[in-house]
Amino acid sequence: MPLADQIKLTQHNVYILPTGPGLMLVATLVTLLIASINYQLSLGYVLTFSLAGSALVGMFMAHNTLRGLVMDLGSPTAQFAGSPVAMDIRLHNPDKSVRYALILAIKQSQKSKNTLVKTELCTDVPAQGSCSLQLTFTTQQRGLQRLPSVTIETRYPLGSVKVWAYWRPAAQVMIYPRPEANPPPLPLSTDMVSAENRHAEQAQNSADWGAIRSYRRGDPLKQVIWKKAAKADQSGDALVVRIAQPNAQKELYLDINQTGTLSTEARISRLCAWVLEAQAQGLSYGLRLPGLDISPAAGLTQQRRCLEALALC
Amino acid sequence: MLSLATPKVFRVINALPRNSRDTLFLLLVIAWLVIPQAAHLPLWCTLLALAVLIWRGILAWTARPLPSRWWLLALMAVTLGSTLISYNTLLGRDAGVTLLVVLLTLKTLELRARRDAFVVSFLGFFCLLSNSFYSQTIFSAITMLIGLLGLLTALVNAHMPVGRPPLLAAARSAGFMTLMGMPIMVLLFLLFPRMSPLWGLPNDAMTGRSGLSASMMVGNIASLALDESIAMRIHFENGRIPPRQNLYFRGPVMTHFDGRRWQASHLEFESRFSETSNLKVFGAPINYEVTLEPNNQPWLLLMDAAIEPPQLSGIKARMQSDLQWQLNRPITDLVRYKAQSYARFQHGPTTFTPGLRPALNLPPGFNPRTLALAKQIRSDPRFRAAGNAELVDLVMDKLRTGGYSYSLEPGVYGTNSADEFWFDRKLGFCEHIASAFVLLMRALDVPARIVTGYQGGEQNSVDDYWVVRQSDAHAWAEVWLEGNGWARVDPTSAVAPGRTGAFQRLIAPRGVVAQTLSNLSPDLQRQLRAGWDALNNGWNQWVLNYTQSKQLDILKNLGFKSPSWEDLGYLLMAIVLLVSALAAGWAQRYRGAQDSWLHLLRKAQQRLRKAGIYDSRNQRASPRQLAETLKSQRDIKEASIKAIYDWLIKLESQRYASASSTTTKLQKKREIRQLNQQFKQLQWPTKKSQSDRKPN
Repeated sequence: MPLADQIKLTQHNVYILPTGPGLMLVATLVTLLIASINYQLSLGYVLTFSLAGSALVGMFMAHNTLRGLVMDLGSPTAQFAGSPVAMDIRLHNPDKSVRYALILAIKQSQKSKNTLVKTELCTDVPAQGSCSLQLTFTTQQRGLQRLPSVTIETRYPLGSVKVWAYWRPAAQVMIYPRPEANPPPLPLSTDMVSAENRHAEQAQNSADWGAIRSYRRGDPLKQVIWKKAAKADQSGDALVVRIAQPNAQKELYLDINQTGTLSTEARISRLCAWVLEAQAQGLSYGLRLPGLDISPAAGLTQQRRCLEALALC
Repeated sequence: MLSLATPKVFRVINALPRNSRDTLFLLLVIAWLVIPQAAHLPLWCTLLALAVLIWRGILAWTARPLPSRWWLLALMAVTLGSTLISYNTLLGRDAGVTLLVVLLTLKTLELRARRDAFVVSFLGFFCLLSNSFYSQTIFSAITMLIGLLGLLTALVNAHMPVGRPPLLAAARSAGFMTLMGMPIMVLLFLLFPRMSPLWGLPNDAMTGRSGLSASMMVGNIASLALDESIAMRIHFENGRIPPRQNLYFRGPVMTHFDGRRWQASHLEFESRFSETSNLKVFGAPINYEVTLEPNNQPWLLLMDAAIEPPQLSGIKARMQSDLQWQLNRPITDLVRYKAQSYARFQHGPTTFTPGLRPALNLPPGFNPRTLALAKQIRSDPRFRAAGNAELVDLVMDKLRTGGYSYSLEPGVYGTNSADEFWFDRKLGFCEHIASAFVLLMRALDVPARIVTGYQGGEQNSVDDYWVVRQSDAHAWAEVWLEGNGWARVDPTSAVAPGRTGAFQRLIAPRGVVAQTLSNLSPDLQRQLRAGWDALNNGWNQWVLNYTQSKQLDILKNLGFKSPSWEDLGYLLMAIVLLVSALAAGWAQRYRGAQDSWLHLLRKAQQRLRKAGIYDSRNQRASPRQLAETLKSQRDIKEASIKAIYDWLIKLESQRYASASSTTTKLQKKREIRQLNQQFKQLQWPTKKSQSDRKPN
């Protein structure tokens, strides 16, 4: 099946099969026919054949519900492994009739539990209009990932047939490594630390600390605002620390060799957490990976560059 | 229900949660299916069904939980018990319908899963069918169609899970399905081979149809006199309707009388004393075609007297010795047959035979005064030597002049019905008169018997069919005359000449509406009734009596020489295949438009490949890529090459240029056609010859 970010459903990619109730309906029709023959009921024939005709037309209606529908996909935003990725799917209905009861689903096999996880949503698409919905999935794999294939299905109007189509979106989504939950503090070099100390002393006087946030493990104790600590203790809030302004001239090279003796994945996970941390602290940081060196910089662009490098390494 | 539907009720319904609304709608549909069946269901069943529906409705209205399974089981047990008590069986048609109705309503008490919705609607379809066991009128057909629409609407609505779609949307879809399904229905109805029952017709297939029966309690026919339903319709050839006094349609002939009840002769007895009917006919035959309503009896009603068996499709009729035409099974369906009758005929033995004995039997101990009257007549010297014919005349005279009158409601007769008629009441309906007459004749030693059937009828002014109603049911007498055989005597005509002679019928008491109508304009009423009857007759001829012979007639008209039912199957198949082919073609039409473009591109690729310009491995080259390849390999200044180049670019833009939204499919088609014509005019280059190649 070709990959595409837009798909128009035609009779070539829409499948149709009877459902259980559909077979039950056929059995009902056969029974009604036999009764009509045996009791010679002309009106029974009328009923049986009306029902058969309606069921047949219903089959076409079910097929029409999908045929001619156009689906496309908003490009998915990058996400960390293990967090839900949102697929924004838009459905366009060029026809003058409402399309009812479309069920969109994505199936994912979960290796850990060896099960299929199915996410599905049901929607109507207005006549000559469109609607959008969001299906989410999670993945543990980092890197550039294919989106799972989408199944669109309907049983409208009688539930006697199931009409469905598959869609394999061509778009790929960047999955960053999962950041380590409780990473050790940033590997700040000694000169950086002393610089930071000096800076902190200055800061207490000149108060060029831009913002505050709640305390995280690894925050230097100097940055804790102790005046508020007492209150925080009473009210049960976390300690509050100052965050340096991004303009602070601090440089930090995050190197895969500083991460200790872990497995490669764990190292990458730790680096990922550090990148986030450094970004949060407004530091300027660089990244060294085998065969890759990203020179230090600050800002969101830098963060994205680093995270993508980590995702793909 | 709808009459109560004030806007406020609508508001309330709109305020209901969707589940409750859907359930209430389904309950209404089921009520629509059950109520018409009340006429033939036992009372407890109707009440139970309605009670369950109302209970379920209250639960839905107040959004309370459904009862437990135990309730269902208990109610089901009650139903089974009651059905057993009502019918002494759980099998058979009526018991089955009763169980079906209760099952359908009980199922609504466990509408939990979607599967239950399916089960309810499928049971509903059976319920729709079961009503046609009892009634197949136009009215019940309309009722059935509405019920079908209701069930389909409920089913469609169950498949619209999003939000709270209006029921009208589901109804529209259901209506669309039914409407578009109609041609399919008509086609199948016309061409699906009508066959005889796959296994023996259950003997309960027909009950509760009124009409003549094999026995006559005095008073039976009087109850029919109020029945305006149609017994049969007759189409006389060339519209020549015989005089009214000849319109005697022969039903069961009754010889045995036990004092209360007249009965047809027993068949075993018949076979032992099998008399020949000895029928002789004179004069010109009358040809006609009868459409007989089902009467659940084996006899075919024919005008007196038919010597040839009536032409029925597939069943043989036998004539009994008393001129009765019979089938070997009850008529449970409309039948139509062609027949030939002779108004002048003779039948029966001309000399006295033992076979006539039963026609002289009198039950002992009944009607002493009638016997005394007969003795008195016999002892009268004037009639001592009288022949049978004279005695008949005498008694007929007595009826004409003795102050006897004809009445629809003579009251209830006692055990000695003949005595009461002759001496006390002096009024009666045809059966009282005929019965009293025959008993008196027998007392006079004249073999006599009762014939029941229909007499008269009226012409429908709309379609000229001659209509015989149940109210035309009649009883008359036959007496045996030496040298002549059996002769018809209608004692009623002596009492009330209007009954059989003129076009006057006894008017039974009517409903208020009919009364008002007839007061306003008797003519209009007659017109309305004639129109209604004609409509009903059309319904009967085309829907209810649509038999295999009629199917084969259609095939004959289509040009089949000697059609069989296999031909029906073939024709049906052929039409199905044709329709499928058309549908497939229709489905391909869009693709065709796409493909014609691709087709052009492939042709161009092929030509260029032949010219050695285009590398065939690149299957997916666009026209523009082809054009560029051409440009790079050939001198574009050459006119023919330029033309090809331009054409390829045009082909490209036809497909990929951002088409303005105003270009219709039609325009696109036209463009493709133009491109196709231009393609034919292009001069494609040939393969570069060796001389063209630059020497290396």
